[in-house]
Amino acid sequence: MAIDFSQETKSGSSGAAAHKSSIFQPSIITGMVGGGLGFLFGHWAGNAIGGGYQQVVGSGQNDIAIVLGYLFAVVGWFAGLGALNYPLKKMLGFEPENVEHISEPGWGKYFRYTTDHKVVGVQYLFGMLVYFFTAGLLALAIRTELLSPTHHIWGPDTYLEIVGEHGTMMMMMMTSVVLGPFGNYVIPLMIGSKKVAFPRLEAASFWFTPISYFILLSALWQGGFQSGWTSYAPLSVQQGVGQDGYIFGFGLQGLSMICAGTNIVVTIINYRAPGMTWGRLNVMGWSMVSLGFTMILSVPVLIDGLYVLTLDRTAQTSLLYGAHGGSSFLWENLFWFFGHPEVYLLAIPGFGMVAEIVPVFARKPVFGYKTAAAGMIGLAILSFFVWQHHLFQSGMNPDMRPLFMLTTELISIPTGFIYLVGMGTLWRARIRLTVPMLFMLGVYFNFLFGGVTGVYVSDVPINVTVHGSFFVMAHFHYTIMGGVIFAFFGAIYYYTPLVTGYQLSEKLGKIHFWSMIIAFNSTFLPLFAVGLLGQPRRVFEYAARLQTLNDWVSISSYVLGLSLTFFVVTWMWQIVVTRKKSVRDPWSSRSLEWHVDSYPPPPYNFETIPVVVAGPYEYADPDALPMADIVVANAGRDVARESVR
Amino acid sequence: MKGVRLSKGARAGALLFGFAALIGLLIFAVAGYLRTSPPTVSVGASSSGSVNLVMQTDGAVGVGPHPSWVGYFVQDASGAWHQTTLIQLPQNTDVHVTLYEYDSGGNLRNSAWSKIEGTAGGVAYINGTAESVVNPNTNTGNGIAHTFNVPALGINVPMYGVSGSAKNFCSTGPCNTSQAHNTITFSFHTGGAGIFRWQCFVPCGLGYLEGNGGPMQNLGYMAGFLKVV
Repeated sequence: MAIDFSQETKSGSSGAAAHKSSIFQPSIITGMVGGGLGFLFGHWAGNAIGGGYQQVVGSGQNDIAIVLGYLFAVVGWFAGLGALNYPLKKMLGFEPENVEHISEPGWGKYFRYTTDHKVVGVQYLFGMLVYFFTAGLLALAIRTELLSPTHHIWGPDTYLEIVGEHGTMMMMMMTSVVLGPFGNYVIPLMIGSKKVAFPRLEAASFWFTPISYFILLSALWQGGFQSGWTSYAPLSVQQGVGQDGYIFGFGLQGLSMICAGTNIVVTIINYRAPGMTWGRLNVMGWSMVSLGFTMILSVPVLIDGLYVLTLDRTAQTSLLYGAHGGSSFLWENLFWFFGHPEVYLLAIPGFGMVAEIVPVFARKPVFGYKTAAAGMIGLAILSFFVWQHHLFQSGMNPDMRPLFMLTTELISIPTGFIYLVGMGTLWRARIRLTVPMLFMLGVYFNFLFGGVTGVYVSDVPINVTVHGSFFVMAHFHYTIMGGVIFAFFGAIYYYTPLVTGYQLSEKLGKIHFWSMIIAFNSTFLPLFAVGLLGQPRRVFEYAARLQTLNDWVSISSYVLGLSLTFFVVTWMWQIVVTRKKSVRDPWSSRSLEWHVDSYPPPPYNFETIPVVVAGPYEYADPDALPMADIVVANAGRDVARESVR
Repeated sequence: MKGVRLSKGARAGALLFGFAALIGLLIFAVAGYLRTSPPTVSVGASSSGSVNLVMQTDGAVGVGPHPSWVGYFVQDASGAWHQTTLIQLPQNTDVHVTLYEYDSGGNLRNSAWSKIEGTAGGVAYINGTAESVVNPNTNTGNGIAHTFNVPALGINVPMYGVSGSAKNFCSTGPCNTSQAHNTITFSFHTGGAGIFRWQCFVPCGLGYLEGNGGPMQNLGYMAGFLKVV
């Protein structure tokens, strides 16, 4: 049985026919033109408003001009992209034309504001890779400086700018590195939907990220921000105009997260196919729901903090400056009330991806499906009660420290749930060591170091010792890069056949995996020792006795960089040049996303909405029904279709 | 763009071109910005075993991306002024410093900086008069404009400011000695090779919170390095 919703859906808000394209159509080019014009206007207006004040004349910088420039640049950017056409026409009482590039052939749609969730997913994938590699290069710049304790490549100010830019860019990017490419692309397919709930919100969530990237990066050319990714006040208040790039870059990424989180939550709640009960929802779906709610509840607090900081820097309020009646604790609390849930915004989708892929290659059901879902939800809820552990050394009420130590240590329980679910799934499994599976096993290996040291750093006495040192830095790189980034690359290898129609080489993938995991551990494991031996973060000089360890780390980081470059070159080469066509369902997954008419999937995913009759992980049961009663148009024929046509 | 089918060779060429463009962009970014730093003025060794270092502090450097910031100029062997705070000195050498101070001053926030330290004899000569402790409310009455501190060498030399309302007050650098100024001279010994950070400890970043931003935290203005080779 299959229910045909195709007519109803195609006439909905996402429906659109193919249409002629031209360079005058709204696209990234017109967006950039609009953004540039908007910036010029805002900058002019800001100079007209604030140019005469003594504070501006004295310091030679006008934050009002920069802030208004960015503000109008964002408006111009979205106007140029054509994102405002539909809502404005609606508001003015006109019936807008549905120009949404759903069925448009060729590459053009990837550079336009589109409401096709798969196009948005691909846009996100490349966008996040650009983010990741830019921030990664900045990391290599940091390690180059640390080759020597005395001979300097960068000045101390430039070094701090690079550190701040690297940290902020990575933390912004990581929030969307799984949700953006894979959540947007795969979740509607996974739940048997033809589309997402809020396609324009989803498109906006992506298009916030390029302008956020450029604004953040532009800070480097304006003196940067030496206050780091946490940007504590009053350091952030007294910074140059580069700090405004931080505020807008992070703020826009925050808006992106709210849009993306809202869309994914509503999509999963409301757009599941018939029979897709909560008990049959993929673990990846559970992780996305947990992630979405966490984003919706935590990110507005960050934006509030950024707004307050902007007021201090432009309108000369003193909300974050103690000597004039404000409090720097206000920023620290607003920031970390977002910042610590953010850590789990990074971890949860990574865990979801791991739990999704491991059963496919273990050929076993998820061990403790409900425990996995409970772990995701538990992480999301508890993440709101731990933020003050970042402030143990800040002068906070000492009586509060044990409470936050306890809540932080409690969070190891849901984390342990997820870890044990993975171990249980692997127990006595006939594991297929494919490239995606290797990356997922790499997540478990790396996260063990990150998780165990996390228990230590949450402990007040140890925190007092290692706070602000490379020990903490090594800890969170193990959880974030060792966790979510390994999951991200595993997911790229796993979903490339679905997204592009091309199969990747196992041999090249394994070279990438082994070089990456060895170099990653060689880079970050010694940093625990470096931290314990007393090297502080964010300082470009260090004790001469630590040079050998630092040199080891720096050289390892170059190898890590080479491994990632190897990935970029070989992955792009395979999907652009060699193009070996994928077979249908290459990993023998039960999940719905693989059971579509073609790879890449057709514009509306399913010709008829599937009816789900079983769970996605019943691999061990030879009598298990297929997951859904689904009609595949060209079953038995070549599944790969040209993605650019 | 639509419907274009490229051959395998064309796709490979386009990809390689893309990679090459990316690498070019990176080199441009690194060379064009990140490696940009003020010039290093080298003060060569003289036959007498001592060298002369001549610098000036200005209320506004007048050039570069932050013309309104306070900053230093350093004179090279030919007498030309360079807006920089990176200075190369020979090791195990006596350095005779002449500092022309053209900026206005104020109270010291921390009286610890009023004591002259790390110089030959523990003194500096302010307009020819030897002093070991400065008092912002005496001498010129114009407070302290800046300090020259090299923490690793134990050097602290505060500099009296000039009157901000002087008719011949220098508004942009490099200034010349026909304009209102104080002349501070002192000597110190470089010792062994190394790179030593130096810094002004008077918060002089006008327009920044507590004066601690802007020029206070950027090379070429009120922070720099002595490269002793």
